[in-house]
Amino acid sequence: MKTGNEQRDAFAAPAGRRDWLAGGWAIFWENPIGKIGLILMACFALMAAASFVPPLLDPMYHPMHGVDPEISHATGPSAAHWLGTDFIGRDILSQLLAGARIAFMVGLSAAFMSIFFGTLIGMISGYAGRFADTVLMRLADMVMVMPTLLVVLILSSLFGQLRIWTIVLLIALFRWPGVSRVIRSQTLTLKHRPFIEAARVAGASHLRIIFRHIFPNVLPLALLYMTFRVTSAIIIEAALAFLGFGDPGTVSWGMMLQWVWKTGHMFQAPYWLLPPGICISLLTLSFYMLGRAMEEVLDPRLRKEGESE
Amino acid sequence: MALLEAEHLSIGYQTRKGLLRAVEDVSFSLEPGGSLGFVGESGCGKTTIGMALMGLLPTNGSIVGGELRFKGQNLVGISDERLRKLRWKKIAMIFQAAMNALNPIQRVGDQIVEAIRLHEPEVSAIQAAERVRSLFSLVDLDPERSRDYPHQFSGGMKQRAIIAMALACRPDVIIADEPTTALDVIVQAQILAEIRRVQKEMDVAVLFISHDIAVVAEVCRHIAVMYAGQIVEQGTRKEVFETPAHPYTRALLDAYLTIEEEDATLPQAMNGESPNLVAPPKGCRFYDRCPHADGQCRQEPSAWVSLSPTHKVLCYGPRP
Amino acid sequence: MTMEIRRYILGRLFQIMLIFFVILTVLFLLFRLAPGDPVSRMVDPNLTPEDAQRLIEQLGLDLPMWQQYLIYLENFLKGRFGISFHYGQPVSEIILNRLPNTILLFTSSILLAAFVGVFLGKIVSWKKGERIDTWVTIGALVCHTLFLPWLALIIIWVFAYWIGWFPLTGMISAEIWTDPSAGLLKKGLDIAHHMALPLITLFLIHFGSYLLVMRSSMLDTLREDYILTARAKGLDEATIRNRHAAPNAALPVITSVGLSLAFSINGGALTETVFTWPGLGRELVFAVSNNDYPLAQASFLLIAAVVLTANLVVDLLYAYLDPRIRY
Repeated sequence: MKTGNEQRDAFAAPAGRRDWLAGGWAIFWENPIGKIGLILMACFALMAAASFVPPLLDPMYHPMHGVDPEISHATGPSAAHWLGTDFIGRDILSQLLAGARIAFMVGLSAAFMSIFFGTLIGMISGYAGRFADTVLMRLADMVMVMPTLLVVLILSSLFGQLRIWTIVLLIALFRWPGVSRVIRSQTLTLKHRPFIEAARVAGASHLRIIFRHIFPNVLPLALLYMTFRVTSAIIIEAALAFLGFGDPGTVSWGMMLQWVWKTGHMFQAPYWLLPPGICISLLTLSFYMLGRAMEEVLDPRLRKEGESE
Repeated sequence: MALLEAEHLSIGYQTRKGLLRAVEDVSFSLEPGGSLGFVGESGCGKTTIGMALMGLLPTNGSIVGGELRFKGQNLVGISDERLRKLRWKKIAMIFQAAMNALNPIQRVGDQIVEAIRLHEPEVSAIQAAERVRSLFSLVDLDPERSRDYPHQFSGGMKQRAIIAMALACRPDVIIADEPTTALDVIVQAQILAEIRRVQKEMDVAVLFISHDIAVVAEVCRHIAVMYAGQIVEQGTRKEVFETPAHPYTRALLDAYLTIEEEDATLPQAMNGESPNLVAPPKGCRFYDRCPHADGQCRQEPSAWVSLSPTHKVLCYGPRP
Repeated sequence: MTMEIRRYILGRLFQIMLIFFVILTVLFLLFRLAPGDPVSRMVDPNLTPEDAQRLIEQLGLDLPMWQQYLIYLENFLKGRFGISFHYGQPVSEIILNRLPNTILLFTSSILLAAFVGVFLGKIVSWKKGERIDTWVTIGALVCHTLFLPWLALIIIWVFAYWIGWFPLTGMISAEIWTDPSAGLLKKGLDIAHHMALPLITLFLIHFGSYLLVMRSSMLDTLREDYILTARAKGLDEATIRNRHAAPNAALPVITSVGLSLAFSINGGALTETVFTWPGLGRELVFAVSNNDYPLAQASFLLIAAVVLTANLVVDLLYAYLDPRIRY
């Protein structure tokens, strides 16, 4: 016969890492937002992977250099070019696929780097406290106020045409404050937990405590924020490319939009105008949805309200 | 006529695992100007009764059986409209001090004025403000403070303000749900004295809910002990304290050491756990923890035994 | 005003000035230390050698770094930002001319998005779980993740090109503004006519996030104890939601607006560029494309000042509205 206390425990989080993962996955999957987000992202991942295919089929399908010998201007969708060609006869579909690859690359690396900085700074800030904390958080405040896009713009005026990895680094350098605050709060809460006290008493060095004990516990939160950072990284890169400050050697969706706009084909070539924008928006949406679904897994309060006591 | 009457009242919550029978077959009555206390541990259903009286059960809760009457009028199934008219004007509630019971961005006085002008629209703003000031004086608060915001009040002051608010429309009954739980002992004593005084002066009936039997005994002339959704013992204060008949009541009282008993040893803590209220046992619900339980207790539901015109107990066990 | 609130305001003001000062300094260092000849960044390469030398002396570019820094600060305080390479005019004139346009567009778009977002978020939270809730939430989400320049292009395509209700570019119509008989109202309407599309674009991108924050804030607030008290008092649902829940729920939205100001100004710059709205953002983009360093630097500084001021305004607004801070 089940007792009242067992009943209460059933609603609490399952113990053990493996149970948590399995339980978390179940919650994630129940949520339609998570499902849609994952499916969308998978589609784009497929696109990114497929981007290597077209140039192998025929050199004219290369997104940057390939030109159809028979076409040298913008044309609509056709058998040879499923989405048409751009203003110098390059295949739009291959560009779109290549853009997916760039988007993932930029998004994931910039997000990873900014989370890396942010988590490190957040943990140090929360753990060290006092002077280091004040200085780091003041720094975070300052960086957070800066409009990333405009900062990268002004920096590109000084350093000339930016390569793609420079852009990624710059984005990461200006987007870490958000996550660092959250990690800091989490670290502050953890700092006073008994198991940290125990480790300290056992003689563990501060570094060891931070990396062995605090880090694994803030990791889920960091990963959650990483999904949100991916969206902003993709958008910023696309905006830069759109304005003409992207890496001219890479074909990103933002770059495609810049070409449509600057070559005056905006009104005449919907097959060229629409796909890149739709892709940027959908990919952003998918990561956002993933993030929201993950949020539900991590924060039990957000789950659907069911029973009461 | 009794002010408040419950007859075989049952309240349940719809949960994913089934209907949780939080209150089972409960009957009691409260006379005008009287005082009745409900004592029990968390989850015994006492707060649920209070909420049901105000019609404030959550969406998955409902009265599943019996009757609940206020001045003869059945509260089960009355319209929201009628219920809102009853609230505060006839039946008011005092919440726990720890709760965020006051709107943080509204002045305390204004929140009381809101209640007054809702139920007595003919009262002007100035008159209402005057009444608020006199209410504040009544509960020993500086009337000037009515212009302040809740965060500027201490815990004890907030509780007094909540009491003042409850009295604003001169209700017939006040339900006090753990009003002193989060306060320190000295303030607790002051608030209890306040409630007693206010009750006498304004001749208002009090339904007091608490997990602390000593606190209940300070204010209430009648006590109902609850366990697992049922009233297991009911009687006057004197009867319940001096001659507790139910093993649970005795355990509650034993948990208190008085200064006189210098040589007393710590009481035996209760073993076992509280029963599952979705699928309650068919016998006595206290069976698992009762030191006197036997076969009959397990097989058959307990029956009421009257020990006096005012004292009855739901138990087969030994008599005091 | 209490002593604490005065101290709070002064504290925030000081903080903002400090940040601005840091930005100023960092910009100074970057412009001097970045690869390439720093002189070419300050002096128009098209000037005659004599003019160039005069300018160099005026800006102190031949002096040691720390002296340059002092001159730089002095020039900044006096509003001397040099001459634009592209326009040939004093930079301060240009940026001051652009400033009101940016403020107009930026402020109205944020206010509109905030009011509509809060209003809809409140209503949608009442109907949580129903179809309208799902649809509005999805709509807000989709709008929020649309790529702004792309949305701008689509909007121009549909409303300015195809339907033709709105002008394609710019802030004013030359005919109206050069007409001596045109009154203030006519000119005002003309600006509004031009501002409609960029305003709508910015609004669509931003209202979504405010709506979502308000919605979740309402749901949190409705679980609070004082809502139970309000219900116990006998208030009806509408009063509870509008008078007790919504004002409390709106506070986190204000914080959210403050946090997203930097993001909003990015959007503002993009919008100005696509719609050719003569604002600071567009000027910055232009200046960077043309290597017009004095103009670029000054535009960036002024934009930073606008963002910081906006942050301060939001903070003060919050402090005013939340009595827990004011008292």
